[in-house]
Order: sequence, then C-alpha cells, then structure tokens
Amino acid sequence: MQPRSIEIVVGAFILAGILSLAIIAFRVSGFNLGNETSSYSVYARFENLGGLVVRSKVSISGVVVGRVAEVSFDHETLTALVRMEIDSDINQISTDTTAAILTEGLLGGKYIGLSLGAEEEFVTDGGELIDTQSAIVLEELIGQFLLKQF
Amino acid sequence: MTDHIVLENVVFTRGVRRIFYDVSLRIPRGKVTAIMGPSGTGKTTLLRLVGGQIVPDSGRVWVDEQEIPKLSREALFDVRKSMGMLFQSGALFSDYSVFDNVAFPLRIHTDLPDQMIRDLVLLKLQSVGLRGAADLFPSELSGGMHRRGALARAIALDPKIIMYDEPFTGLDPVAMGVIVLLIQTLNQVYGMTSIIVSHDIAETASIADMVYLISDGKVVGAGSPDHLYKEDSPRVQQFIKGLPDGPVPFHYPAADFEDELLEEIPNR
Amino acid sequence: MWWHAIWRKPEWKNWPLIVTQIYRLGVLSVVITVMSGFSIGAVLALQGYNQLVRYGSESALGLGVALVLVMEIGPVVSALLFAGRAGSAITAEIGLMKATEQLSSMEMMGVDSLQRIVSPRLWAGFIAMPILALMFSVVGIWGAALVGVEWLGVYEGAFWSGMQDGVTFSDHVLKGIVKSVVFGLVITWVAVFEGYDCQATSEGIASATTRGRCIFVCFGTGTGFFPDPYHV
Repeated sequence: MQPRSIEIVVGAFILAGILSLAIIAFRVSGFNLGNETSSYSVYARFENLGGLVVRSKVSISGVVVGRVAEVSFDHETLTALVRMEIDSDINQISTDTTAAILTEGLLGGKYIGLSLGAEEEFVTDGGELIDTQSAIVLEELIGQFLLKQF
Repeated sequence: MTDHIVLENVVFTRGVRRIFYDVSLRIPRGKVTAIMGPSGTGKTTLLRLVGGQIVPDSGRVWVDEQEIPKLSREALFDVRKSMGMLFQSGALFSDYSVFDNVAFPLRIHTDLPDQMIRDLVLLKLQSVGLRGAADLFPSELSGGMHRRGALARAIALDPKIIMYDEPFTGLDPVAMGVIVLLIQTLNQVYGMTSIIVSHDIAETASIADMVYLISDGKVVGAGSPDHLYKEDSPRVQQFIKGLPDGPVPFHYPAADFEDELLEEIPNR
Repeated sequence: MWWHAIWRKPEWKNWPLIVTQIYRLGVLSVVITVMSGFSIGAVLALQGYNQLVRYGSESALGLGVALVLVMEIGPVVSALLFAGRAGSAITAEIGLMKATEQLSSMEMMGVDSLQRIVSPRLWAGFIAMPILALMFSVVGIWGAALVGVEWLGVYEGAFWSGMQDGVTFSDHVLKGIVKSVVFGLVITWVAVFEGYDCQATSEGIASATTRGRCIFVCFGTGTGFFPDPYHV
C-alpha cells in the first residue's frame, strides 16, 4: 500500500532538512551555543554608551574575548552600567585595565576594547573595571570643532 | 424485544426545519425492511440516526438493545463495526484502489495476516462480481460498478445490519437488476438485517418484507408491500401510484397566483 | 474532540499515513519554496548592497541578509507558500471527502476520521514546515552569497564572518525554527478545520479554501513580523 519510492523521497526530504539545519548552525551562526557556562561577568560604568548594545563584541588587541550581556542605568552614579561576559580562558585581565567604547571603522558598530594594565591582581567574576572611556560621539566632536573655529 | 432496530417517538430538527415529528418504527431481525417516502422527507437522516452520526432531539434509538444516542464514542464505534452502510454516492475512497477500499475496514479492525485479508477481499469482490476490477481506481468505475464496490466494502466485516441509502438511484436497468439481486442474495445467504431507503417503488417492493412509508415527518403507512398496495389512505395511494397531485400538493405553498400576477413591482 | 486528535500520540500503525502526508505537503512544496527562497535572497542582497555601499558598510550584507532570512522572511514567506499550496490542498481534499460522503462512510465503518485524516496531516505539517523554512533560508543565503560575493564583489571573508559573528544559534536560529513550527501547526489546523467545517458543495469548498488561506495570511503577517523584545 505504501510505495517504497515515497518513503525514500520523504527520507531524503527529512535528511535535506537536517542538512539545512547543519548548514545554518555551522556556516551561518558559527554555532556559538552554550558559551554562557564558560564565561564570567565583569562590570564597567560609562558616561555615554553611544550605541553600544547587548551582544556587542568585547575585544583585547582586536581579538574577540566576550560579549556585552546587559546594559542598564545605574541610579546611584547616574551612569550606564554594562555587564560583559568574558570567556573564562581569558583570566588575566588586570584590575587597572581600561575599557573603551570604540567604533568599527568610521560608522560601524560599537564595541568595547580592553587595554590591559600592569597590575598583578586580576578581575574575577562580578568584578568591575574602574578605568573607562566613553564612546566618542561624532556629533559632539563636530560641535566642539565648530565652536573652536568661531 | 426481538426486533433488531427500534425507533421510539423520535423527533429531529435541522435548523428551523423539523424533519421528524414523531417517528416510531421497528425493524425485524434478518428481514429486508424498506423505508420509503417522497424525497426530502429525511429518509437518509433516519439511517444516520441509526448509525449514531446524528442525535435525535428527543425519542430513543435502539440497535441490538443498545441505546445509540447514549453510547460513548468508543462504544458507538464498536457498534458500528456490526453495521454496514452503502451510501448513495458509494463513497469509495478516491485515492485507494477498489481492492484497498474493500481491505480498508479489515486492515483497520482486524490483525489478520495479509494473505488472509487478500482472500477475504477477493471473496467479497467475487460476490459482487468485481474481482476483475480489483486494481481499478474509483474514478475508473461506472456508476453501477462503483456502487457494487462500495457494497463489497460495506459487507467486508460481515455486519449484522446493512443499510442501503438510495441503492437504485441513477442506475441503468441492468445495473439496477444486479443491485436488487445482490441485496436479496446478501439477505438470504448471510441473514443480514437489511434496511433500504428508497423511492423506487417497484424494485423495493419486489424484495422488501416490510415497508414503512414516511411523509411529512411521520410514518403514514406500514406493512408488507401487498398490504400497502391495498391501503386506502390517500397519502399512501398517491405515493405508490405516483399521482402528481394529492395530499402532497403539486404546488409549493405560495401566495394566490392571480394576486401575485397583478401585484405591482416596487420601483427600484 | 479536536484536542483529542492532536494530542493523541501518533500510533505506529499510522506512520505510513504521516509519511504519505509529508510527501504530499512537504516534498511537493520543495520546488516552489526553494525557487522563491533563492530569488528573495538574491533580491535582498542586491538591494541591501545598493544601500549599504553608500556608507561603505557592504561587509554587513551577509549579516543583514542572514538575520532577515533566518528569523523573519524564511519562516513567514515559506509559511505563506505552504498555506497557499499545501493548506488549500488539505482544505479542498477534506471538503471533497465530506461532499462525497467519504468521511461519513469512514465514520460508519467505525473508523475515527479525526485520527485517520486529521492527525497525520497535523503531524506532517508540524514536521514539514520547519524543514521547508530551513531550506528556504539556506537557499536564500546561498542566493545572497551568489549575488553579493560573486557578482557584486563583496569580500567573501567579511560576508561569512560578519554573518557568523552576528547570528547566534540559540537567539536567532532557534527563534526562526519555533516560529515555523507554530506556523506549520496553525496552517494545517486551520486548513483541516475549514475542510471539516465547509458546506458540502463545490461553492462551499471553494470559499473554505480561500477563507483558510486568508485567515493564515492575516495571522502570519500579524505574528510573523511582530517585533520581538529580544531582537535589538
């Protein structure tokens, strides 16, 4: 009653579906699932985020070492509080490291660049980076430039 | 209670139209019972009531001393295994061959090995004369063959009751003769309680042991065919003799003809 | 009664029925899905490139196309195609089975038509829809790569690495899959219901087929493009 060819074609169809899923997983999304278990949180406060969003990159010397996990407003200090998730194998971030919000190219997305300091002590899970540099907002720069002109 | 199927004071309404006012009838075991009446009197509805596909507004329906409307879905499906029904359109599954159509109830309801199912199906097809057409699809069959195929499917599980919904409609005389013969044979050989719903008087009367005449939602005549032929009731006579006018009026109820002709059409 | 048909786990005996339905609903929709996926991906790349190149950000092309396809257009458009092709076929088929008394006769044989007719179709929709949506996305991304990288000359490394950086499996891909699973269920559900519910006439079947599709188009565009709170 059940022609064998239909079964084979349906099997091929489902295989094609699994293959598509595999392509999407590895080729498109780079399969970065479940890296939350192997990371730790570091906090930093900024005057101005200038377009930094959740999932923006965190990099050291241009190498991506983590992501921005949470962005909130801290009511005590009236600044933006950013929680970063840093891969746990990057465990030598000294406490005097500078976190700066940088831009990819002139108009690209914002990311946090970490410049390592010289302290012997390293930040641990839940630690905070004190030394920060806010985003450079292009409009402000232009405004300052114009003010100096006149 | 020796009667196989009993309907008692059944009232059934569809929408605003009352189909049965108060129908009571008894269908004896192992006999051929015909239910006749003008079209639109709900004869098919009656079969659906017996099969439990619809539930009466009030009144009772018994089959084998089980009250059909009160059964659970599972119990109802169990009862239906002992019923076969031949639909007016035949209703063979259009994507199965004739063989698979007849095998369908066997495959679903039994765990018989394929070889035995094949033998049973061929047996049933042989009895309706369609063994040679086993591999055809319903769309390739003529009207008469379609109905015979459906009959083979209806009797596949050797039911105790078989219901025929308008088995003679739309058939040529030869095909009709074949169906008449088949109904008779099945009744005599297997002793199935047969119910025929039809308005073809001559064919039905020739095989029925008992006839119920239904009109306007009521049973207006009952008895053997001979008895009905002699009945005085004008309703029965009109139906049996096929008179165009009588208690069933020729005209659908309407306003007075002359008035309607003289009536002015309102300007649009 | 309806829930009963859905939540009943598929019986092993019914597996051939599901396979047949996957064939009819899924496999037969592959060609139309793949073709529209390819052309939509290609067009997205072409127009996206024209806009992005003005700001010199054409390297973001891969990411943009991939996100749009995997999360939004893939599930939604493939579901619309599925509704148009498979959904209408289901409605018409069931409506016709009703009109020709095939459903009644099945019931009279003591066979639960819900289990026999509805359940395999729902399972098939549930299985086939995400597969079709994934195929749509893959082919769309391939089409975009073909146009963007081969034709318009976007740097290949930037195209793919931007995509891999920006698209996450758990956030974006899974969301797209969940969407398409829900769409698959809704489409087959609506289609089956319309078929069951239709007037058993040719006109009734025709209007039920159209109605089913309209219901889904409203639902699909309504929920599919609804901005979701996690997508920044």
